[in-house]
Amino acid sequence: MKKFKVTFYPDNLTIEVNKDTTILSAAITAGIYINSVCGGDGVCGRCKVVLRKGKVICSSSAALTKDDKEKNIYLACLSTIHSDLEVEIPVSSRLNLERMVSPELKGLYSKSEDIELVKPKDQQEFSYAPLAKKIYIQLRRPSTNDNLSDLERLYQGIQLSPEVKQSTLVAGIENIQTSLSNIKQLGELLRDSEWKITVSIGERNNNSEIIAIEPQNTTKRIYGFAFDIGTTTISGQLIDLDLNKVLGTRASYNKQASFGSDVITRIIYAQEKDGLEKLHMAVIETVDEIIQDLVQEHKIDLNDLLYVVTSGNTTMIHLLLNIDPANIRREPYTPTVNFAPTIRAVEAGININPRGLIFCVPGIASYVGGDITAGVLSSGLYRQEDLGLFIDIGTNGEVVLGDREFLVSCAASAGPAFEGSGVACGMRASRGAIQKLKIGRGTKVSYSTIAGDRPRGICGSGYIDLLAEMLRCGVMDKDGKIKNTRNSLIRDGQMGKEFVIVPAAESASGEDILINEADIENLKRAKAAIYAACSILVRQMNFEFSQLKKIFIAGGFGTYLDIENAIQIGLLPDLKRPKFRFIGNSAIAGARQILISLEAKKEAEEIARKMTCMELSTEPQYMDEYMAALFFPHTDLTKFPSLVL
Amino acid sequence: MAAQQILEKYSGVVSTVQIGATAGEGGSRKSNILIGGQNTMPFLSAEGQIPHKPVVAFEIWDTPPLEWPKALLEAYGDVVGDTVAWAQKAAGDFKAESLCLRLQGAHPDFGDKDADSEVKLVSKLLESVDLPLIVLGSGDDAKDNQVLPAICEAAKGQRCLIGSAVSDNYKTLAAAVLADGHNIIAESPIDINIAKQLNILISDMGLPLERIVINPTIGALGYGLEYAYSIMERARLAALAGDKTMACPFICLVGHEAWRAKEAKASISEFPLWGEDVPRGVLWEVITATALLQAGGDLLVMRHPLAVEKIKKYIDNLTQK
Repeated sequence: MKKFKVTFYPDNLTIEVNKDTTILSAAITAGIYINSVCGGDGVCGRCKVVLRKGKVICSSSAALTKDDKEKNIYLACLSTIHSDLEVEIPVSSRLNLERMVSPELKGLYSKSEDIELVKPKDQQEFSYAPLAKKIYIQLRRPSTNDNLSDLERLYQGIQLSPEVKQSTLVAGIENIQTSLSNIKQLGELLRDSEWKITVSIGERNNNSEIIAIEPQNTTKRIYGFAFDIGTTTISGQLIDLDLNKVLGTRASYNKQASFGSDVITRIIYAQEKDGLEKLHMAVIETVDEIIQDLVQEHKIDLNDLLYVVTSGNTTMIHLLLNIDPANIRREPYTPTVNFAPTIRAVEAGININPRGLIFCVPGIASYVGGDITAGVLSSGLYRQEDLGLFIDIGTNGEVVLGDREFLVSCAASAGPAFEGSGVACGMRASRGAIQKLKIGRGTKVSYSTIAGDRPRGICGSGYIDLLAEMLRCGVMDKDGKIKNTRNSLIRDGQMGKEFVIVPAAESASGEDILINEADIENLKRAKAAIYAACSILVRQMNFEFSQLKKIFIAGGFGTYLDIENAIQIGLLPDLKRPKFRFIGNSAIAGARQILISLEAKKEAEEIARKMTCMELSTEPQYMDEYMAALFFPHTDLTKFPSLVL
Repeated sequence: MAAQQILEKYSGVVSTVQIGATAGEGGSRKSNILIGGQNTMPFLSAEGQIPHKPVVAFEIWDTPPLEWPKALLEAYGDVVGDTVAWAQKAAGDFKAESLCLRLQGAHPDFGDKDADSEVKLVSKLLESVDLPLIVLGSGDDAKDNQVLPAICEAAKGQRCLIGSAVSDNYKTLAAAVLADGHNIIAESPIDINIAKQLNILISDMGLPLERIVINPTIGALGYGLEYAYSIMERARLAALAGDKTMACPFICLVGHEAWRAKEAKASISEFPLWGEDVPRGVLWEVITATALLQAGGDLLVMRHPLAVEKIKKYIDNLTQK
């Protein structure tokens, strides 16, 4: 296969690509973003470039005027490279992230971070059948005896390929679809590559869509992304779809946080002028940053990134897809969409292969989203014979009760405290986060951090330990007030009394790591909301806590959770400890399982169809339960009989 | 055939709190008062034991209560300018069983009297009048934390009832009450959970639940009385169902709330159709008090002597054997 050099201006970047590659694809490989709203179908006319030197073959498009042609302007997506080129990308065709992001977002949470996830133990197993697959095909040359058209020949080749025979692919031949722009290139591409090609196929609404056709065998280079779009934290995971292997996981605070910390304030903000657009851009920016970081680290060509699966709460998915979430907030709380169709990622604004696809895990209701579907999938609650409870400890605390017969969910607003937001020294479960601690004699704190780094702050699991230890040692009373003692680690601060956990000299930032009474109040409210939701849900279904056989605890607040301490502070009900299982960020685990298994995707859709939702806001007892839970462990101590109080 | 009487039985008992210590008990009161001890709802003596009647205490101040309405000031005359004389008049003329001294003058905005002068006043009061004493702080947390511990110390042995501890400020007072052998008032803002939490917090400090009296905060007739009523009823039902942390008697600051109502204090010249102001105000306090007695009030702090007289008669009628 012939190779050509392409130089892009004004970047002055040169790369080498195969003949017949489009300019758009070459630019993506070079790491230059060009506008492409239509995903490379030659319809939108946003990807205009000026050809300074060289030869391209460009199929015709209505998006190009006569004037354009005279000025040597071409559409990058329709122009295939046939010689060394010099190409100028005008400002108007550039996807300038800097420009799109509103000024208030600049400099916020600038870097995404490596995060550690809970090592999955006895997780659900699904058969390996990724939603995107590359297959290498050697087609028979046509002859006078065999004059099947190129496209039918390609379809036939796909049908006869071993991957399809092993049925690891989505659908049979009758459900294959592709775009006109792929067909336009087909004739020349097949002949230039001597009938040896790699076809990228993605699952799209129960069809097999040909995403791209490349010369030669590139089947080893296929990647996907699993995302958990949380209200506070966005986590992304790069997955090698060929090897079925996680290459890296990153997390970043959702940049929408500057428009409000919970979904309600975001929905309200979306009603303001340009509000929806700003929120949409903020989430896209965060997602893109995570993709960029991981793709650059692993030296992956964005063209080989073919599929994204996202789980997220209903509001986050609306904002990701730029859909007005207004009705989520209004009675009777109906979202615009629970089962979003699989679309091209560029339609949502996410930069991967221009024809790459995005699947959003279906949600259940306005306040129980696809993250919970994914969590239930990955926990396996829906397959259990015995009654179980799934608790997701996030900004929105969702609880699912059920077994293989039924699933019922509810959601309570808990706030972001356990995700390390809205608390003085809080942080995500990333390097340097205190995730485990104990208070010894003389209130001396011993702790361990993620990756053993110098401590930078405290993550959710660290806060759970901290509260339990402060209670146990009498540093804090059951109402969450820090006691008056003549202890040099306890002092008055701006937010009430504070307790120093790590003195400045030991911390990574050179500042004290501490907890204050306002932090405790936020954590107390969060734990009360979650406990009250569990309590109401179980009671409304005419069960008792004691009937639960298994309790799955999900949440991205650490790589470990001390169940005993979580019960001590009244976050979790007082049940036999072996019933509890901490499964970490199950939303991203579920998204990853869906990405690598069609079976998991079908199960997830079934879960979302089957699960019902109880609305807590219309449940008068919820407020009572919540108020009673605003105490450590609870105002009704008889609910925690095993604790020595 | 006579209808069968269905009786409710409860497993819990409200704790008995003793206010005031006699000479034999280490104090100097002529007698003490006991509140609580019942294992049934108010006045339902057929269903259980109600060993002690509800008690009414007269509210007196450490400073002339200038903003009190005319109807109240006229009932006492000149004595409101002299706390001890006021107390003696209540004890003598109005046969008070107990006194509730509010240290309003210690508040930074109402005279800012220091701990020393309040201690002197309380000591003199204890010498001059031998009734069990309730002492309320000024409501300013910082100031009360200076004054009330000093009062506790000065009244050591007298087994007073001292308040108010609130969930944001209970430690100083609870420690002082514990050290000097008094009882404490735990005040919560018409909130059953906070009431219970505060009892737990105070008992965690070592002060037994049997020395706590709950001030549930009340509203006067027309000003949230029904909220107070339902909170008190719920708390009491929880106590009778066996919740020890709720099983404390209630103190209700009836006079304080009732006489803030416009309907109680407005003069006849302002609202001729509302009728004479004195009987109207008295009735406002009486009606508020009767409802709270039915809700479970054990100790009522009241202001108008006539209202107290009517309420005592009401209590006597309902508790006649």
